[in-house]
Amino acid sequence: MEETEKVRTGVQPLTPRIRRRRLNSDSKWGLLMVTPYIIHFIVFVLGSLLASLYFSFSHYDILNAPQWAGLANYKKLFQEPVFWKAMWNTVYFTILFVPLQTVLALILATALNQRLRGLKFFRLAHFVPVISSWTVILYVSDAIFNPRFGMANSFLLKIGLEPQKWLQDERLVIPLLVMIAVWKGIGYIMVIFLAGLQNVPSDVYEAAEIDGAGVFRKFMHITVPLISGTTFLVLILSTISTFQAFEQIYVMTGGALDASSAGGPNKSSLVLMIYLYQEGFTFLRMGYASAIAWVLFVILFILTALQVTLQKKWVHYE
Amino acid sequence: MKSQYKKWGALLLAITLLSALLISGCSTKGKGGGDVELKLGFYSSAQSDEKMQELIAKFQEKHPNIKIKTESSPYNQFFQKLDTQIAAESAPDVWLSDGVLVPKYAERGVLKDLTEWIQRDLKADDYYGLEFNKDAAGKYWGVPQGIQIAVLYYNKDMFDEAQIEYPTEAWNWDDLKAAAEKLTKDANGKYAIDPSFDKNKISQYGLTFFSITEGWMTVLKSYGGGVLNETLDQSIIDSPENKAALDWIVDGMQRELLPTPSDLKSFQSNMAPFPSKAAAMRIGIYARTIDANAAGLNYDVTLLPKGPEGKRFSPVIANSWVINKKAEGAVGEAAWEWVKFWATEDEVQKEWASLGEAVPVKKSVANSEQFLSGSPANKQAFLDSFEFAGTLDVNAVWSEWVGKFNDSINRAFEGEVSVEQAMKQADQEVQKVLDEFYKK
Repeated sequence: MEETEKVRTGVQPLTPRIRRRRLNSDSKWGLLMVTPYIIHFIVFVLGSLLASLYFSFSHYDILNAPQWAGLANYKKLFQEPVFWKAMWNTVYFTILFVPLQTVLALILATALNQRLRGLKFFRLAHFVPVISSWTVILYVSDAIFNPRFGMANSFLLKIGLEPQKWLQDERLVIPLLVMIAVWKGIGYIMVIFLAGLQNVPSDVYEAAEIDGAGVFRKFMHITVPLISGTTFLVLILSTISTFQAFEQIYVMTGGALDASSAGGPNKSSLVLMIYLYQEGFTFLRMGYASAIAWVLFVILFILTALQVTLQKKWVHYE
Repeated sequence: MKSQYKKWGALLLAITLLSALLISGCSTKGKGGGDVELKLGFYSSAQSDEKMQELIAKFQEKHPNIKIKTESSPYNQFFQKLDTQIAAESAPDVWLSDGVLVPKYAERGVLKDLTEWIQRDLKADDYYGLEFNKDAAGKYWGVPQGIQIAVLYYNKDMFDEAQIEYPTEAWNWDDLKAAAEKLTKDANGKYAIDPSFDKNKISQYGLTFFSITEGWMTVLKSYGGGVLNETLDQSIIDSPENKAALDWIVDGMQRELLPTPSDLKSFQSNMAPFPSKAAAMRIGIYARTIDANAAGLNYDVTLLPKGPEGKRFSPVIANSWVINKKAEGAVGEAAWEWVKFWATEDEVQKEWASLGEAVPVKKSVANSEQFLSGSPANKQAFLDSFEFAGTLDVNAVWSEWVGKFNDSINRAFEGEVSVEQAMKQADQEVQKVLDEFYKK
């Protein structure tokens, strides 16, 4: 009892009696405050979660009652080449996106953490894409990457290179989508990093300066380790968000025109979420789609657990 | 301690139950005596919604005991919501279905079989396309609300500029291609027949088409091929007829006489090249007259070209009223009254036709001056096309096999694989989709 209480609250009790009374009153208030959330969770989250777990073991076309199918959906999933293609596309997207965005956002945040003129403007400018909808971004990127009318191809033609199909090209589609996603998302990550940077005490930098450290060394040996907690948060957040990427890929590679053809040329940008959406809502295989969702959940759970374990090796807490 | 938690647990449970009760309590409807409440669902645009409301008001005048509750949203949202509504048993009693989606619902047992009612109340000869919602077993699942049927659109100005004759009903696909060659123009104003023609900078295509409805299905079928067998559960893709048809298409695309699917992506919409004056001809359904008229094109339409053996094919989509299987008794009867009102009343048909969205279902109205006048001049071509019209091999898994077919065939259209390879792949993938649904 004594031991578990200590772990739960993390506070050393003063004397047993006082502790018990205070804790009870606190937990009562605490529980009362979270009651709306708990109700919401039980009714709208837990219920749906359990339902989708059940559906994943059944044949369910939405229109008729589900029929128990055992492991059939999971078996089919692992034998389906399209699933593995979608898996690879998702992993490929994440491998490109997460490090690129994290490094660029950190550099940007460091640059915008200085005391310079017009700083607010630049911070704002980088945040504008974050709040724009994907549909707006689609039009902007179309102006650049449209194979017939886009700026990118007229530039290539001008310098004597072959025009490209850009988003309609199997090899280019994911790197391009990553580039656009980094451009859109970087402002958000930058703000998180900025918050982290503000917490780094300035006397550390001053001490380093006295010792003769240059900009690069200060960045590598002070900034990077001291904000590793923030970096850790950013890594987990962006990994999860890329595994769940949907809207961008859906609107940019075909879904806006025709739901069954979303996923780019020859399925080269079909990521797991698009695959899930198509199977579940376009082709009415909700059981199969639920199985995809649970596989996705397990992957994300393992990845996050892995990151949490590995953080001991590199994350620095004060 | 333990009892404390129990108390809180009980309280929590009570609140949960109470809120559940409140939510469900709100949705219980009181039932008035004699009156029937009919839930009517339809997809609509701002323009068509207004007309629909007018027609509903007229219906209520005639049937004061039927109270209509409408549920409408734009096309995509409407069908996204519909599936979940059916699952939650809150779907409309009668709704407007895209013609290609009727078998999806019918074969999954969601729709009411209308065969008896249709035979009792409607004279088949009075209508275009009642048979387009008939399944292989002869059952009717819907009554057409408006018909989409395809013809060949051509831009007269572009033909005049190139100094060639307008398309005629005698054309076959090779005649069309010969004309397309003289109508495809590059950015320097050179036509495709010119040796200095630059096919990397097309400013005007001879022909444009897109996907199945306004694309390859017409060519395939008029060449004697097709995608599915008569019972719609076997792929017949891998055939010499289809090979000839696809060769015709791929050749046209490789020479840039018509845009490939990736060329089409550079337009804001797949339907855009013809109304935006980037193509001289198109395969188009009746609804495309709206865009063409709005763009102020000097255009007309004619029958689609014949295949090598003289066969023609015009694809049809019969958007239809369907009735929920759950609508029983008085509600079911009321739903049928609505469908009948729509199909039999000349005034309703005329009012709806005035929107210009679809060919009227009722022959008397479709053949009236009101429908046949206006632009394009040769509207008669739409009616004449019924003679060789057919559906798009629509079945319960239509959108899925179309997706698979496109995935495979588009690679041939882009010149990435040979026609034979693409056909073999499409055949396997489409068969897999069919087997999964029909061979359970």
